[in-house]
Amino acid sequence: MEQFEPKIIALVCNWCTYTAADLAGTSRLQYPANIRMIRMMCTGMIDSKYILKAFLSGADGVFVGGCHPGDCHYIDGNLKAGKRIPGVGKILEQFGFEPDRLKLKWIGASEGPEFQKYMTEFVDTIKTLGPSQVRDRMIL
Amino acid sequence: MSTYMYKTKDQNPIDAVKTVLSAMLAKSQVDAVFVAARTPYAKLPMPALITSADKMDDVDPLAPAAPLNAARQASSILKYETGKKIALVLRPCEERALIELVKLNQCDIGNAVIIGMTCMGRMENGTYLKCLDDHEDLSISFYVKPDLQAHITTTCKSCDKFLSPNADITIDVTGMKDGIIGFLPQSEKGETLLSGLYLAREKTSTYREKTIEDMLKTRQKEKEQVMKAAKALLNPLENFQKTVATCLNCYNCRTACPVCYCKECVFLTDIFAHKPEVLFQRAKKKGAIKLPQDTSMFHLTRLSHMAHACVGCGHCSSVCPSGIPVADMFRAVAEEVQRLYQYEPGKDMHERPPYIAYREKNTFIEQGEDR
Ligand code: SF4
Ligand code: SF4
Ligand code: FES
Repeated sequence: MEQFEPKIIALVCNWCTYTAADLAGTSRLQYPANIRMIRMMCTGMIDSKYILKAFLSGADGVFVGGCHPGDCHYIDGNLKAGKRIPGVGKILEQFGFEPDRLKLKWIGASEGPEFQKYMTEFVDTIKTLGPSQVRDRMIL
Repeated sequence: MSTYMYKTKDQNPIDAVKTVLSAMLAKSQVDAVFVAARTPYAKLPMPALITSADKMDDVDPLAPAAPLNAARQASSILKYETGKKIALVLRPCEERALIELVKLNQCDIGNAVIIGMTCMGRMENGTYLKCLDDHEDLSISFYVKPDLQAHITTTCKSCDKFLSPNADITIDVTGMKDGIIGFLPQSEKGETLLSGLYLAREKTSTYREKTIEDMLKTRQKEKEQVMKAAKALLNPLENFQKTVATCLNCYNCRTACPVCYCKECVFLTDIFAHKPEVLFQRAKKKGAIKLPQDTSMFHLTRLSHMAHACVGCGHCSSVCPSGIPVADMFRAVAEEVQRLYQYEPGKDMHERPPYIAYREKNTFIEQGEDR
């Protein structure tokens, strides 16, 4: 049987997690190729629609990476994300999406190794969960 | 707050309500009354703004019908401080929605008198009109005859928040089987108003408590069942696809929603007005797509906007042309979201909604937990 390769959307903050990803790259730290990264200016601008759309379009997991509390370049955008995203997760859960498919993590700009670690862990989690229910259904 | 109520002498309940409201106007206690009333053009009561004490003939707040949740209409009158004092007769779910709108800076109720009621529920419009054919005095007989009460909406049958805790005055209908209607003061403001009307003052009937207790039990039991059934309408996603298979994307449910207040709703913007190329592309990806598109996206997004504030009034179900049990689904999801945020919409005027109070009660941030 062919191995399941999840499609994962990562919505990451320009100032921290994205820079951490860069650092991981320049330090030659490998992370799974399943991650499709989308750079945002801040986690506070992540509209719930982005996450819902990703899942409804067949993403197997969504990862959100932002600055540690206190470090947000827009003062408290990450606090907004910290409040909003669990709510979106709770809604998705009611429709049968496993809670583990949506992850929010704070990864600072210097945390290249942490970035690698979290990405690897997340991909493993999703692999264990298997493909999202949206994959081969007619989800409208 | 109070253990006594006021009542008018030997009047039928509807007339008693009219007497009290007209007296408030006649004595200039208030400048206007906002209350459901029949119009010459329809038997269904609609919200009315009444400024003249002799225009009370068609007032009918006890009619077991409500074509809309009046909170949004009420907020249009209370948009900003006008110096006018208005008495608003509202059902509990309307009161809760109005409180949410106040928190969202949509209106100001500092100068308003809220008159709530012990709500026995409403019927769907069609059901109400049918019952009206056989019962001309439906607004009274409804409170006397349990077989008529059996016709209320699914949402009302399973509503366990049928009291008006934030009102200044509650219209007590629990004594209506004995032809008694009471006015319970629940605040200083309510007390002052009622005591100025020279009504008879007496102890609250003992059956009020008992009736409420029984009602709560029945309703909670029903709610459990409705919520359980609703979960199966959503989960897994394929079940949800069946539930909304004939959704027209008409957005009636959103229009009827008293807490969906955005002036420019995202669903009416270009974000959801796709170019043909986009539709072709989507079709190509899957081989076939159903139109209208974005039905699931609509419902999930709307939930993410208002689930924390859903007051469970049921009007979204009432207006759905496809008979989709929108309210059952939304209430079931809202219950979980509200539990997560430990937030009860409409309960406390001073409790800020979770997305506004994002710095507070943010356990996610405080404990560094991750989702
Ligand atoms: S669906 Fe969302 S954007 Fe539209 S009115 Fe409701 S809360 Fe506002
Ligand atoms: S009212 Fe019914 S058909 Fe219209 S958008 Fe809502 S669920 Fe769909
Ligand atoms: S700038 Fe990084 S989360 Fe706000």
